[in-house]
Amino acid sequence: MKNFIKRLTSKNGWVLFVWLAALAAVWEIGATVIGATVRNHPEYILPHLWQIAASVVQPVSDTQTIFGLVMVNAWATLSRALVGFLIGMAAGFVLALLMSLSRAVEKIAFPYLMLIQMIPILGMAPIVLSLTGDIGVSRIVIAAILTFYPVATNMLAGFRSVSREKHELMYSYAANTFVKYVKMMLPSALPYMFTGLKIAAPMAVTASILVDTLQGGVGLGCLLSQSLKHNTSIYAFWEIVFISAALGILSAKLIGLIESLTVGGRLSALSGRLIRSAGKEKRYEKQAEKTEA
Amino acid sequence: MTDEYIIDINHASKVFNNQKKEVTALSDVSLRIRKGEFISLLGPSGCGKTTLLRMIADLIKPSSGSVTVDGQTPREARLARKYGMVFQSPVLYEWRTIIRNVELPLEIIKLGREERRECAMKMLELVGLRDFADHYPSQLSGGMQQRVGIARALALNPQILLMDEPFSALDEFTREKLHEDLLSIWRRTNKTIVFVTHNISESVYLSDRVCVLSPHPGRLSAVVDVDLPRPRTAEMRSSPELASLVERVRGSFEGI
Amino acid sequence: MKSRQKKPKLSERPMFETVTSVLYPLLFGAVIFVLWETELLHRMIGTTESILPTPSHIADIIANNPSKLFGNLMMTMLPTLIGLALGSLLGYGVAVLAAMFGRWGAGGLTIVSCFNAIPIVALAPVFNNLIKTVTSDITIRGLTAKVLVIIVMCMSSMSINAYRGLTQLQPFGEDLMATYGADRKTVFLMLRLPNSLPYIFTALKVSLPLSVISSLVSEYFIDTVEGSQSRPGLGRMIRSNILNAQYATAWAYITFACALGVALYIVLMLISKRVLKNRGK
Repeated sequence: MKNFIKRLTSKNGWVLFVWLAALAAVWEIGATVIGATVRNHPEYILPHLWQIAASVVQPVSDTQTIFGLVMVNAWATLSRALVGFLIGMAAGFVLALLMSLSRAVEKIAFPYLMLIQMIPILGMAPIVLSLTGDIGVSRIVIAAILTFYPVATNMLAGFRSVSREKHELMYSYAANTFVKYVKMMLPSALPYMFTGLKIAAPMAVTASILVDTLQGGVGLGCLLSQSLKHNTSIYAFWEIVFISAALGILSAKLIGLIESLTVGGRLSALSGRLIRSAGKEKRYEKQAEKTEA
Repeated sequence: MTDEYIIDINHASKVFNNQKKEVTALSDVSLRIRKGEFISLLGPSGCGKTTLLRMIADLIKPSSGSVTVDGQTPREARLARKYGMVFQSPVLYEWRTIIRNVELPLEIIKLGREERRECAMKMLELVGLRDFADHYPSQLSGGMQQRVGIARALALNPQILLMDEPFSALDEFTREKLHEDLLSIWRRTNKTIVFVTHNISESVYLSDRVCVLSPHPGRLSAVVDVDLPRPRTAEMRSSPELASLVERVRGSFEGI
Repeated sequence: MKSRQKKPKLSERPMFETVTSVLYPLLFGAVIFVLWETELLHRMIGTTESILPTPSHIADIIANNPSKLFGNLMMTMLPTLIGLALGSLLGYGVAVLAAMFGRWGAGGLTIVSCFNAIPIVALAPVFNNLIKTVTSDITIRGLTAKVLVIIVMCMSSMSINAYRGLTQLQPFGEDLMATYGADRKTVFLMLRLPNSLPYIFTALKVSLPLSVISSLVSEYFIDTVEGSQSRPGLGRMIRSNILNAQYATAWAYITFACALGVALYIVLMLISKRVLKNRGK
């Protein structure tokens, strides 16, 4: 939190803030125009931001606010997305490992890995639903497939990024395959894996929401459909738009945080140290200038 | 230096098959390297000097002929961990501190933590980087990184140090400093050093013998004995003896 | 002196590499195909032929209604390509603006990059509602809503990548230009623009599959509000056929959707190879 405030008050944070404000202003102008021209339910096209904000505390039933309803459904979607994400991550990791260990596996899997990238997996969600017969399982499967691809390809790129000299070094030490992977290949590929995870996390969230819409029940997507079909307040829809955007961004940020705490730690902690010492020097210089003056 | 030979290269050739084209990288090289000798493989790119080094290191196999290291095949010698390799780039693991980079080969042979640290510290002492043990590679200059590479190569106490253009990416001043360091390490440890370079004066200044290789096809065209006294000093760099040796070496290249 | 060389082992010959890298995946595909066709696959994953029709069954359906299928294909492909083109152009424009305005431009792009994380397809019905005020033709409305969704998606990835291409120049590139006394326009045309070319293709390689997906998925959403459309696209046909338990027909549409994705991607790869031919790696 402290960090956040610090960043916001820094010059770059200030720029970001102005941009957000400008964006909000454009939204409000749009909402005003729509409100003046569309007679029938302008909030279906573009409500005012304050209307959406106010709707957070509006009740939908005796016991629940719209926001509460959204949060309950968000949890149902997120938990499924998370399970799928973890399964996809594990599968992508294992496949990349096998591909790097065996030329034959690499040759078999590589064209299909490319193919997955080209075909619209999400468009196949309905068929996954009919194959698995369960919406929860389909959410997990789709999220897993969408996570699997970027993790596998990025890890593979990570394994391939290890320079020939590094391989030769291990060879000259007559290191066995296990040692080679533990000491060299995996540490080299981990930053690449995190790149893949950062791409995959918002995708898993989005995919889960979209899979929700295929069937009734709980989940952000279901609520979204309900809201659009006028079965519940339209503000549920607008809240979901904001919440899902926040979830997508937060999920990627969370991965970034985990990265900097684990593998990235050694690098960013290092650069942090460098930056800090550079800052100190500057401060000393300033002090020196002052004393001279 | 003794008269005992540690590396025996006997009529070794290497032919690469690249897309239906046969390229002779090395043609019929015979060379014997003495125990404790500092020997340079010198030549322009394409002369097969690196190929020869890689043959000794068991990174490639000769197409014909043989290489014997300490009475063993290169493979046996590698498995017995008789080699220390230093590459053109330092090849440090950027996620490990300096000391842990030097510890790497010791971890591979499963040495205990205490011994590992002690031995790695000694090696860093040898290359004068004791104070930088806990730094990360990216915090060190190119010359310091290369010294870490040397410390790591020495960590397993190998009999033979194989160096593939180790100083070619460094500036002249750093390189000369590292020459002194390498010679002093060599004097203290009695290693056999096989040093690949394309720098004529470097090879003369450092070596006991300079093997001159010529390209197309790669072959050994001359072996020049360097009879400059040891220890070599910085003043010798501009001595007429060294200059005349450099001229002799330069004259023994063929077909460039 | 030269001794006769031994014949290299089969696995060490260069030809072996090339042949196996085609042969292995083909064999793998063939095994899956046979398992699928003989319905052994169904037993392995515990499903029935009616839900997972055999390839020959799907092929039958495609062979019987090719014109109808192609009609639906066009309704998906058209907005995909239009959206991709417009969105990428817009994104490039945003990148150029951002590159011109230094810190403020970079800040704006941070916001644009966040658009990537929003499930923009969910906005399809909103766009659809918006267009309601302009036209009453359902087909045009559906198409426009799809195009709008794809524009927003493509704009985001293009602007970020193009910005990189316009600003991450090779070292001393700008200095060289400065020594010639080049003005900003010349620097842009001769240095920044050509430098951004590979980045444009990087962006397209990401946004093309995304556009196809968005097009398909928007159709689900518009459908939830609109009921029926006069000329539906592939996405809606996949969904409605599954709802009606016409699985084989749904699979025929899925086949078309996949073929569309693959074909467009291959075309893009060919163009990018052609354009970036002389750049090396």
